[in-house]
Amino acid sequence: MQNKNTLDDNAKHLHITIDPTHFSNFYEILQSGFIVRCRVGVSIKALLCEQFGLTPEYVVERISTIFLDGKPVDDIESAIIKDGSRLALSAAMPGLVGATMRREGVYASLRSSITYEEKHSNYQSKEGTVTIKLFNLLMEELGPIFLKRGIFVTFPAMATFLTKQPDNFWKACKEILLDRKPVVYSILQKSNLPAQCDWVFLTVLILN
Amino acid sequence: MDKILRINMGAEGGPKVTVAPFGDYAGLGGRGLTSAVVSKEVPPDCHPLSDANKLVIAPGLLSGTAGSMTGRISMGCKSPLTGGIKESNAGGQPSQVLARLGYGAIMLEGKPEGDDLYKIFINKDGIRITTDNSLRMLGNYDTVEKMKKEFGDKIACISIGPAGEMKLNAASVACTDAELRPTRHAGRGGVGAVMGSKGVKVIVLDDTGVSMRQPKDPDKFREANKVFTEGLRKHGVTGEALPAYGTNVLTNILNEAGGYPTYNFKEGRFIGASKISGETEAALETERGGVPTHACHRGCVIRCSGIYNDKDGHYLTKQPEYETVWAHGGHCGIDDMDKIAMMDFLDDDIGLDTIEMGVAIGVAMEAGLLKFGDADGAINLIKEVGKGTPLGRIIGSGAAITGRVFGVERVPVVKGQAMPAYDPRAIQGIGVTYATTPMGADHTAGYAIATNILRVGGFVDPLKPEGQIDLSRNLQIATAAIDSTGMCLFIAFAIMDQPETFQAMLDLINTFYGLSFTGDDVVDLGKKVLKMERDFNMRAGFTKEQDRLPPFFKTQPVPPHNVTFQVKDEDLDKVFNW
Repeated sequence: MQNKNTLDDNAKHLHITIDPTHFSNFYEILQSGFIVRCRVGVSIKALLCEQFGLTPEYVVERISTIFLDGKPVDDIESAIIKDGSRLALSAAMPGLVGATMRREGVYASLRSSITYEEKHSNYQSKEGTVTIKLFNLLMEELGPIFLKRGIFVTFPAMATFLTKQPDNFWKACKEILLDRKPVVYSILQKSNLPAQCDWVFLTVLILN
Repeated sequence: MDKILRINMGAEGGPKVTVAPFGDYAGLGGRGLTSAVVSKEVPPDCHPLSDANKLVIAPGLLSGTAGSMTGRISMGCKSPLTGGIKESNAGGQPSQVLARLGYGAIMLEGKPEGDDLYKIFINKDGIRITTDNSLRMLGNYDTVEKMKKEFGDKIACISIGPAGEMKLNAASVACTDAELRPTRHAGRGGVGAVMGSKGVKVIVLDDTGVSMRQPKDPDKFREANKVFTEGLRKHGVTGEALPAYGTNVLTNILNEAGGYPTYNFKEGRFIGASKISGETEAALETERGGVPTHACHRGCVIRCSGIYNDKDGHYLTKQPEYETVWAHGGHCGIDDMDKIAMMDFLDDDIGLDTIEMGVAIGVAMEAGLLKFGDADGAINLIKEVGKGTPLGRIIGSGAAITGRVFGVERVPVVKGQAMPAYDPRAIQGIGVTYATTPMGADHTAGYAIATNILRVGGFVDPLKPEGQIDLSRNLQIATAAIDSTGMCLFIAFAIMDQPETFQAMLDLINTFYGLSFTGDDVVDLGKKVLKMERDFNMRAGFTKEQDRLPPFFKTQPVPPHNVTFQVKDEDLDKVFNW
């Protein structure tokens, strides 16, 4: 878990405005996991709908597979997000195992040994952080929302991401700001982010 | 599709062809037909590479029609890998072409004297069998190229690579796709070795001048196909996830669940998973000018395959599937997608089951023959198989043999067949199917078919753990039935969730044949197929002791959940109580 102040104090803010054809370059960050600040001690459903602004219909129909701390979840109203939790979100998946992992699916019993069970019921709502992972169709649908909202990525992960981007990615960037100041991409390409930061607060605007 | 073609490869004076009506096998197709023939005509105690074994190649009941998703072809025999009955199926074009030519099955029987290689050409005018030793030890790609030069590009091929010629346990049978590339394989169980033992290198099918199979009730068939196709297109899995990312979309899910076998089933999570996920693979294919959405045969509306280009934008292989990416990737600690794609190409060309090869290489890594993560070493091992070196022949004989030769305890096999990409300690229900299916560890033996709609064996509460035995039974019954239709198992998701799509599937069969098939009939067919297969295995010497997972699954917890396989042996023995 990351303390709110620790995150803010040690983060550089990188903002990128980019052409939509290069959205897939962010796949690795989105599927590997990123950190967001939010209120914890609430249910998964409350986090998704009340804080992330997703409609209940979208959550029910689209986010059919959810893992909390690596365990498949059936009941999103009783499963509670804690400070430092890891939440992975996926659409419906193929294969017997894909069907098995579905929330309250007909084959849920096949993975009963790892199913998430909420042990306590009294949690206090408070500020905290959650690691989010987005998979498959949800990466494309929710990725732009989270990137616009802002995500925290570790400095090493961000440096790796920046150094591996090809020239055409940088040419598709309409605006690059580091701590609100324009920066030339060659500095980022060589991973010359200020070395003293532990985190990068990344915001990305995907142009339509 | 009203006749069966038998070719006795061991007949005096050379291969002898007999064409006869279906007879006792009327009404069967795909797995139903292959298992019926093997069960009835192959002595269970025969050596799988002897003249007594048969290789039965059968399109499905609806292959060769205008029906969507009807292009699977089944290959059945006594397996040299498991010693039991085997049905392995593949996509590609041959199923449709063979069915249009009117054949419900090709049966390769007997065994030729000497070591001549044969090619079999079948078109509307008949069958021509010739020796062609120029094909010896050619890869599947070169073999198909030679066939194109000889017969033109309006053909479909069923062939074996060097692995089949060497009669290795991991040898597959290749089927060409819509672009006439040998990329779709009946991979499991060493069916390629049986084809090799018959001396048959390639079967060339040409349906020029023949038309599509016509249904008894064309209007109702067309309507059923429309509803069926719409059902597939509107479903989230068959209409969106599979076309966009292919089967490898499962990597992230299994990894997150802690059920992604890593480092030869030592761990349940792979740190490099996101580098080889379906999402990453699809983006890479698009970036390099390949195709992330591609059908393996004409008439497929799901299009879960793709084209994988190398860094220079040239074709390298078809989109490696989830099982392949796992077997050569996470299982071996390899997170380089290009190296995995190269291994996929080599497996296809040499004619090898990607699951068996990947697992065998992982077992070799466990033995210290090479290090986990050594991608170049893994590629070289596959090349050794292609060359037929002693080491290559060991690896090409599969994971069980490799484990024995190198003294490895943790060998993930059931009935001698390597386990696919789901750890049965994390997903215990799939372990029940791995253990008990007559085929050996097989993820497709109990698929997510509409057991809830069929209510096979009664309703099972999905949230109670004690339902796992019943669910596995029901899934195996339903899967055996679908495998007999020649339909791709990926229709499972749409027919599982949408009753009208399931009904449309039944209507396709009924309007084509003039039948009134019901859900109960589907269940009866599945039971009949499984009963034949189990009976064959029992006569071959199998007992309940073979319906078990390797002991390490009960004794070695797998992180991150640190769970072991908990299903009791006596419960496994109840799977086929119906």
